[in-house]
Amino acid sequence: MEYFGEQLVNGVVMGGVYALIALGYTLIYGVLQFLNLAHGELYMMGAFFGFFTMTALGGPSASAVPVAVMIGIMFIVAMGGGALLGVAVERFAYRPLRNSSRLAPLISALGVSLFLQNAALLLFGARVRLYDTGQFIDLRSGISIGRIRIDPTEMMVVIGALLLMAGLWLMVNRTRLGRAMRAVAVDQDAAVMNGIDVDRTVVWTFAIASGLAGAAGVMSGLLLYPVDQYMGVFAGLKGFSAAVLGGIGSIPGAMLGGFLLGITEALVTGYLNPTYADFIAFLILILVLLIRPRGILGRPAIAKV
Amino acid sequence: MKKRLALGMGGLAAFAMVASGCAGGSTSTESSAAAASAPAASAAASAPAEAPVCGGSIAVMAPLTGGAASIGQEQLNFAKLAVDDFNAANSSTYALVESDTQLDAGQASTQSTSIVSDSAIIGVVGPAGSQEVSAVGPAFSEAGLGFVSASATNPDLTNGDNPTFFRVVPTDAVQGPTDAEFIAGTIGAKKVVVIEEKTDYGTGIAKSVADALTAAGVANEVIAVPEDKKSYDDVVSKVGDDVDVVFVTFQVAAKSEQVAQSLVKSGKKAVVFGSDGSFSGDFKTGGSYVSAFAPDIKGIPAAADVAQRFSDAYGEFGTFGPPVYVATQSILQAAQRACAAGASDRAGVLAELKNTNIAGSILGGDIAFDAMGDVNGAKFYIFKLDESGAPQLVQ
Amino acid sequence: MSTTPEDSRGIGTDEWVAQHGERAQRGTGLYARIGEAWMGLPSLVRWGIPLLLVVLVPFAGSNDYILRIGINLGLFLLLALGLNLVVGYSGLLDLGFIAFYGFGAYAYAALASEQFGLHLPSLLAIVIVVVTTAAFGFTLGLPSRRLTGDYLAIATLFFGQMFVVLMVSSDAVQFPWMDEPMDLTGGANGISNVDQLSVLGFTFDSNLSYYLLLIVLVVLATVATKRIHFSRHGLAWRSLGEDSLAAQHMTIPTVRLKLLAFTLGAGIAGLAGAIFASVQQGVYPSTFELPLLITIYAAIILGGLGSIPGVLLGAAIMTILPELLRFPEYSNWLFLVVLILGTIMYLKSWKLVPAVFAGMIAIGFIANVIFLAIGVPYLTTAEWAKGPLAPVLGSWIFMPEERVLIGNIAFVALVVAVAWMSLLTRRTTIILLPFVLWLAIFTWEVRLMLEPSITRQLLVGALLVVLMATRPQGIFGKPRVEVL
Repeated sequence: MEYFGEQLVNGVVMGGVYALIALGYTLIYGVLQFLNLAHGELYMMGAFFGFFTMTALGGPSASAVPVAVMIGIMFIVAMGGGALLGVAVERFAYRPLRNSSRLAPLISALGVSLFLQNAALLLFGARVRLYDTGQFIDLRSGISIGRIRIDPTEMMVVIGALLLMAGLWLMVNRTRLGRAMRAVAVDQDAAVMNGIDVDRTVVWTFAIASGLAGAAGVMSGLLLYPVDQYMGVFAGLKGFSAAVLGGIGSIPGAMLGGFLLGITEALVTGYLNPTYADFIAFLILILVLLIRPRGILGRPAIAKV
Repeated sequence: MKKRLALGMGGLAAFAMVASGCAGGSTSTESSAAAASAPAASAAASAPAEAPVCGGSIAVMAPLTGGAASIGQEQLNFAKLAVDDFNAANSSTYALVESDTQLDAGQASTQSTSIVSDSAIIGVVGPAGSQEVSAVGPAFSEAGLGFVSASATNPDLTNGDNPTFFRVVPTDAVQGPTDAEFIAGTIGAKKVVVIEEKTDYGTGIAKSVADALTAAGVANEVIAVPEDKKSYDDVVSKVGDDVDVVFVTFQVAAKSEQVAQSLVKSGKKAVVFGSDGSFSGDFKTGGSYVSAFAPDIKGIPAAADVAQRFSDAYGEFGTFGPPVYVATQSILQAAQRACAAGASDRAGVLAELKNTNIAGSILGGDIAFDAMGDVNGAKFYIFKLDESGAPQLVQ
Repeated sequence: MSTTPEDSRGIGTDEWVAQHGERAQRGTGLYARIGEAWMGLPSLVRWGIPLLLVVLVPFAGSNDYILRIGINLGLFLLLALGLNLVVGYSGLLDLGFIAFYGFGAYAYAALASEQFGLHLPSLLAIVIVVVTTAAFGFTLGLPSRRLTGDYLAIATLFFGQMFVVLMVSSDAVQFPWMDEPMDLTGGANGISNVDQLSVLGFTFDSNLSYYLLLIVLVVLATVATKRIHFSRHGLAWRSLGEDSLAAQHMTIPTVRLKLLAFTLGAGIAGLAGAIFASVQQGVYPSTFELPLLITIYAAIILGGLGSIPGVLLGAAIMTILPELLRFPEYSNWLFLVVLILGTIMYLKSWKLVPAVFAGMIAIGFIANVIFLAIGVPYLTTAEWAKGPLAPVLGSWIFMPEERVLIGNIAFVALVVAVAWMSLLTRRTTIILLPFVLWLAIFTWEVRLMLEPSITRQLLVGALLVVLMATRPQGIFGKPRVEVL
């Protein structure tokens, strides 16, 4: 039972990171009905921004400011940098394609991914960077219930993810911008007729989604240590799976999907075999899609004629 | 008239730009030579003038982009350094040709035809992965082109299928038993978990270690993990409290550090023992072990200078770079000898490659190949990491 | 419109006016004229000329590398034609397509290598491979009855991912009825020493033989798709792709057609996979990962979905361009030509072009002076430039000693400048253009030339974005008509 608890914690923690990435996919899909396949690269960039902020502040072992402040600054820089990049990507790669076929943005996104990965390789060098969280946070502290331990970074990741999700939900459902986003999601032309600046709304959507990706990047750095140029590919795939599992376009769905995916992986790893973790996660996903084609919390599709 | 003038000026500007591109581009392959430090120039000036100027191209096959870029870029930079050093010392004009394979056997196979078709290329450093070596083997052996890998450790590669293949690192068949013996004997472990990363590198070592452990009577369990696995907390949770050693077979040392830190925070007594892929500054949790095919090159007098210059020019390095320096040296020296003998073609270089003898290489010992292309006197060294993460030789 | 009957012409309607619509559709200028002349040729000539050129390649100073690229292109074309059936015609977004290619390759390797000690005759092996892959495709097509659009894409993407995972991890499969775990796929090491194709006593053992074989196969596949294009099935598929709901209302059996598309596409991919395994004499799991899928999709979308010449051209671009960019001298040319043509096309004025380039040249010299005044250490011309124009260019481009650091700053500045420029009016953009052009060349020479492999990927990425932005429907694609 304790072993189960241990694996559950592992799953929930990774699930938090997946959920944050999934939120970005879901938000953009919800508003524009297209998959921003370059999202994982923004996550990677966020992780690097966080890392270099940490280095600039003196590095993991000799920070010039208190640890909490340092982590705060890392998050702000990563989210801000991610948001700016996301807006630039939207402006360049997606806006010219807004009214074209569904496939064109996919290829554009792949171009953006390739460009960002290799720009990172050029600028940051090929070496894998390590966050070395253990040097500024005592990983042996934190809560422990029997054998189940939850260290401070793990708590931070889960709580941070939940807070960001709650904030996002409030933003979408309670603010003017959120209302504009929902309007654009339903019908762009009608939104324009109602005086909504579609371009501006889309820019904000990208900024928020990409900021979340940046935050997820820092979180995964703190949690997992290594940061490299290609970490976005699989993280993107995972986040995207989580979004689909929960029902793409739905914010609670993305959260649910992220946590479910993380827990599935941990349990498969724990009780079966790590090599089959992805395999079984994908299998579950396909089964869910076959039973509920729009994901767990997705709304059924209405074919527009 | 006006329009024509305008056209002419535009054309001129365009021509100037294109020409500038050519001027810059033509030097690109040798630009690393230009970046070589001042001592290079002075050494060149003092070299005897009567010796024939030897030269030729050497291809470097490595994952320069893609998921394994951290390995490939380090390998490329060590090859650059080796060529610069050699050219400076011998006033030769050897040049490098980059060949990016992304650690994909398919791309390596295509690139092997490109290399074979470029008659200026007299030898190849790489490719990095074992499956890449099997993919390029047929093309290179048909062309009689010698290739020296610095990181392909699958023992099967030197079974005679690839007559022009050499490697400067010992195979898994050496590393596995050495490590297992140490784990069973010196550490006295009773129970071991082997984390097998599903790559051609990880699979080979994991198998040979597990077999050797079983032979030594140590209980062991192999846990296979996919290459793109990000979190290892769940794998570490599987490691029982009675496990003494977790043997890891990652290519990227950062992952070994992840496992080590995860063990620390979960309060388990097991220590991490990394294969040679983990021999890098990134793996630094005190009390861990790591094996390597050479004594720490930073501690070898012959290598101190190379290591220092590499760090100055390109930053920190791990385990897969330094052997590339030696692999490049072996080709350069073979080419130089072939050139002196007046046979500086592929066949001449290949013949001389078999006579390679690098005395006091930066890997610590002398480097020579046996009849199958494996390095002679292969031996593995084992280090324990102290509290600051620095490796201390223990065997 | 020109077919308006004589008698229906009203007052003031003459032939010129009547043909207005047709004329408006026709382009003007050199391109359009060449295009028209080309399209005026008989179809046999239009297809025959490229084919002849391709067949002549091996006999005109070629080498194994060029042939190998040709082989890769041929395999790619087969894949792209197969995928075009599924995506281009039927509109089913199948992101698991690579799995069929991999399945074909692995199946052939299993049937013709030491892996299981089977060395089946090539023809038999290929027939088995194609049939099983097609059956696999049929199975994978089954969910398409229920899943549509992006959801089908996602489900198939996961199938594709699962395939690689399975191949990597099936080197020790424990069957209940066996004592020892069995090695099915060679795991991460793949299967090597696969038999080469051998048909009727002729063994395909050279790049040339495979090259010619693939030409034959690609021609057959093209002719077949071309026939399908105008057949009843082709029409039905295309209507399915346009609007599956409407197609269903027209009593088109959508489910059967979807499954047929999946099956045929998979069969073609399986064939390509078998040939690939035999060309490479081995199969390795790393080949069948996302990058290959991306390249194939890029090929068919770049060329224009559903258009056969588009698919052929797109595949050629995606195979040949990345290989050309491997060589610094070619990528250098390509970069400058794109830069110059891009500028000229953007300015669309012969007066502005020399002004902008003159400004660019002036900025180079000014930058030199500024760098020297600040006292940045630099490399002399002799240390980095060569060629007859080197002295002039050496004084135009400032080559700092710290190439990496300054180059990185220039790269970031370039990206930011281009991003910023896109927000400005045309007038301001033109004023900034000389500076940006200089910065681009400066970055190229100082930094990007140092890293040809990374630059290659950067350029491919940037070109994909630019191509899609300038021509979202693809090169030969028809623009999407917005239906309200």
